[in-house]
Amino acid sequence: MSIDRRSFIAGTAAVAAQFGFASRVYAEDKIVRFTIAQDFTRIYTFVTSEYNQGQRDYFALVNERGGVGGYKIVADVTDHANDLPRAIEAYERGKREGAVLIDPLSTPVARALVPRALEDKINMITAYSGRSDAADGTAFPYVLPLSINYWTQAGLIIENFKKTEKGSLKGKKIVFVHIDTPFGKEPLSILQVLAQKEGFELLTFPYTPPGNDQSAIWPQVRRARPDFVIFWGAGVGQTVALTEAIRNGLPMDRVSSSVWLSESDMDVVGRDAAKGVMKVEPCVGGREPKVIKDILAEVVAKGKGAGPEAKVGTAYYNYGVQMGALMVEGVRLAAAKAPNGPVTGPWLNDGLRSITNFTAEGLLPPTTVTREDHQGGGMGRIARWDGAKFVPVTDWFAANQDVVWSEIKKNSETFKTTGK
Amino acid sequence: MDWMLIAELAVNGVFVGLMYALVSLGMVLIYKTSGIANLAQGAIAMTGGYVAWVLLAGLGAPVWLAIPGALVGMFAFGMLIERVALRRMIGQPVIMTIMLTLGIEIMLRGLLPGVFGASVKRLDIGIPQAPLFVADLLINRATLIGGGISLVLIVASLIFFNSRFGVVMRAVADDQTASWSVGIRVERAIAVAWGLGAVAATAAGILWGSTQGVDWSLSLLLIKALAIAILGGLDSIGGVLIAGVIVGVAESLATGVVDPLVGGGTRDIVAAVIILATLLFKPHGLFGREHIERV
Amino acid sequence: MFYRRAGLRHTRYQDERQLFPLAFDRGLVLTVLAFLIAAPLLLDRLWLTGYLLPWLIWTSAALGLNLLMGWAGQIHLGYGAVMGIGAYAGVHLVRFGVPLEIAMIAGGIMSAGIGTVFGAAALRMKGIYLAMATLAMQFIVDFVISHNAAISGGTLATLQVPAVRFLGVPLTSDWATYYFALFVCFVITLFMLNVKRTSFGRALAALREKDYAAQILGVSTFRYKLMAFWVSSFIGGVVGTVLAVAYLRAVSPDQFHLELSIQILAMIIVGGLGSVLGPFFGTALILFAPIVLNNLLGSVAATFGLDLPIDMRAHLPLLAYGLLVIGFLLYEPLGLAKLYANFRNYMLVWPFRHAQR
Repeated sequence: MSIDRRSFIAGTAAVAAQFGFASRVYAEDKIVRFTIAQDFTRIYTFVTSEYNQGQRDYFALVNERGGVGGYKIVADVTDHANDLPRAIEAYERGKREGAVLIDPLSTPVARALVPRALEDKINMITAYSGRSDAADGTAFPYVLPLSINYWTQAGLIIENFKKTEKGSLKGKKIVFVHIDTPFGKEPLSILQVLAQKEGFELLTFPYTPPGNDQSAIWPQVRRARPDFVIFWGAGVGQTVALTEAIRNGLPMDRVSSSVWLSESDMDVVGRDAAKGVMKVEPCVGGREPKVIKDILAEVVAKGKGAGPEAKVGTAYYNYGVQMGALMVEGVRLAAAKAPNGPVTGPWLNDGLRSITNFTAEGLLPPTTVTREDHQGGGMGRIARWDGAKFVPVTDWFAANQDVVWSEIKKNSETFKTTGK
Repeated sequence: MDWMLIAELAVNGVFVGLMYALVSLGMVLIYKTSGIANLAQGAIAMTGGYVAWVLLAGLGAPVWLAIPGALVGMFAFGMLIERVALRRMIGQPVIMTIMLTLGIEIMLRGLLPGVFGASVKRLDIGIPQAPLFVADLLINRATLIGGGISLVLIVASLIFFNSRFGVVMRAVADDQTASWSVGIRVERAIAVAWGLGAVAATAAGILWGSTQGVDWSLSLLLIKALAIAILGGLDSIGGVLIAGVIVGVAESLATGVVDPLVGGGTRDIVAAVIILATLLFKPHGLFGREHIERV
Repeated sequence: MFYRRAGLRHTRYQDERQLFPLAFDRGLVLTVLAFLIAAPLLLDRLWLTGYLLPWLIWTSAALGLNLLMGWAGQIHLGYGAVMGIGAYAGVHLVRFGVPLEIAMIAGGIMSAGIGTVFGAAALRMKGIYLAMATLAMQFIVDFVISHNAAISGGTLATLQVPAVRFLGVPLTSDWATYYFALFVCFVITLFMLNVKRTSFGRALAALREKDYAAQILGVSTFRYKLMAFWVSSFIGGVVGTVLAVAYLRAVSPDQFHLELSIQILAMIIVGGLGSVLGPFFGTALILFAPIVLNNLLGSVAATFGLDLPIDMRAHLPLLAYGLLVIGFLLYEPLGLAKLYANFRNYMLVWPFRHAQR
């Protein structure tokens, strides 16, 4: 390829054009800017688009109603593809443009951003991702999971099994099938402690990520003749695990998973075949909650929805709305304390960490975030798939929080002493 | 040691291995005729899965129409890749063609989820999920049927290579220049090989898509396919069959026997170790032809 | 007109042998270097840590891989694993209190050792088979790292990098980490510029063109193949430590997966195999094209109200990444470095185009 005058000029123009757009300036001043940099393309594809749609629809709802505390929410959505250079660029760009919050929705990215967020005092939301010990607000003041971590979820599942067995798990056999990554291995420590405490036998089976072939795992599970099965993974690993469990004839009503199970997974497995399987619900699913109805009426009906209407009210969509609502509640409280800002990380942090008994009009369990507890109280519930939707089988409850917190403290202490 | 468990794992391993072998079959067909190792094979399988899904769920075609439709469409797609991209690379170093197929892989992984959405798609080709017990052994229906289809296709390609056009393709594989001189249309033979490779990948994509759902992770079939192709010999179709069974059984047994010992999912490692061991002890695989280099 | 050659008369041997004989090239290199040194004063933090820092680090890595692939012609699909070994070795040593300078070298030696063991496969095979052997290395190293709690760092599998000093300067501020990366990149670039002119470099070139022929000419393929793997893996290990200390600040196994290997491979393909300048261009394009495209799409969507579905918008950069690799291989196999060479040739005689041969 040789260079002539035309391609030279075109090339120069293209380079110049790239520098032109970099600095977008917004004229309005009363805004709160969030950086919503998430992984749409690599690992977290199964959840991101629905989660993100819920978040954006909720922000649209808030802005339609004139904002919160006099502020409008501006959410910059980008894709970081689970790739650290891209995530860090998005983070730095957001910071320069005045973003006070970032929601990366990715464990590796969250881990790499922890030291930066703590230094720069930017609030990082690590819902269902990131370090589980970030629930300890004293060690991680600017890292806010605002949701039940995996240790709590495991605790909830075991507690529900215990209820099914009328209060005692002694002598029972529980199988834990998990993806063989740090994320999948996380609940192991809690389960081991609980096995000791409750007297059940714990068998663990790791499968190779991402888990598209588990045909050699489940025969072993079946032959172990377990009383209960917990499967722990994400995306394709979950549907394959469920399919294999069905093929091996395991009773579905004794199988449970974490928050990572949604209606679209059920579509893949087959809606009827999966009847009976349980999951942890961190917030209400479906279109019943008032917030979702409001979004349908005020955002989606006006054609301002961020994605296909069919996805509204699915499990992950509602998680997005849940996190959006918590963020906005943080802004409301911050604005109530200091109405004129300035809008900074600490300003929003103050609001986020004083959320008390917030339910977003019935969407979430009563959530209280304090300076010590960033998990929000550790409440969740167990829901069961009935062939068409997830039906709650318990009320909101918290369980085994003592065990969970001793694990959180153990890890956050090491971070405090050696990490920095 | 639970011998029934071992037996069950072995039986299922055979069928799963055959399903993997279907992906490698395409790689071998392409390598055999054109000497290019196609690292986009996994992504082509993914593409096939998506195409089948579009025909089945998107356009509502019945299964008997959708699957042949996808196969025919992907045959054309394979020829298109060869025509547009690979043919221009003749005479370039190996690294360039490897990288080109990797580029195609990346592109397809961006294109299809981008157009059709990233969430997992259900591909229902009517294989029932109810467990099937033979004595105390559970046979997985999906892998049983998948393995069976795969076996048929591999045997079919063995027969194909003995047909008239198969002989032409073997001639091309043997010596391109010599084939040219006796009037064989080498380009066409290579293009057909790519088309058939894509067909094999599509069949694998549909079978795997029906067991795990269709999304980008279908492109990960590549690693297993590579292990099988290397073990069997990159230019041996029969080798694919044997190596597929070996890899499938080895992986399945490793999951049952080695995993508890090391406390981790060893499945992918088995593939990597097989690749490495084959390369160290028998670089051209069990049935591959020794390549003699002239200085 | 630019890159003027007229009036250049070398009167001493060392003049003729210098790295950049043309005054304009010298000036250009010095200007770029001066800009890079002054960058912390000129640019704000987004540009410094968001663009320049990763650019320098990834370029260093790409240069290391280019030595192996561009100079010696040996394919490596597991360079990410090589970097991972260096990063883990370096970070563990730093956590034990070993000074960073020593930890970097030790990380490099560790990578070089393991990398050469796998590279020994190159003695028996080449081309696609070597690619497969290195690919297997990637998976095995990944597995070993993530399945040894002692290596990967406990249940959360994250190793925080403690505060470290380099040559007495604490690497805490942005500019300190930036200069650290710049220093490493500068040293590696200098090495790469010079290696071409040594007997080692020429032996590698002979190896690349035809290993049998090289052997007949008396170049020991055994020795130089292993040396190529050794040197390249050493650079990879050092850069891995730099990456962990200056950029990631917390290492976890998933940072060194196959994606990183392919990314770096794409950088040298797009940049130009066997060129020193190429990796600088290639890294910039591969690292930043998705970001720029993403932001561009974002602002286009915002200003023109163009409503692309989010799935499409998010996947376009991946599509573009693939198309870039394909496009360069088909239309300019020698990469961006060749494009620059064309540009330079054009400007050499500009505006008197008729003077061009």
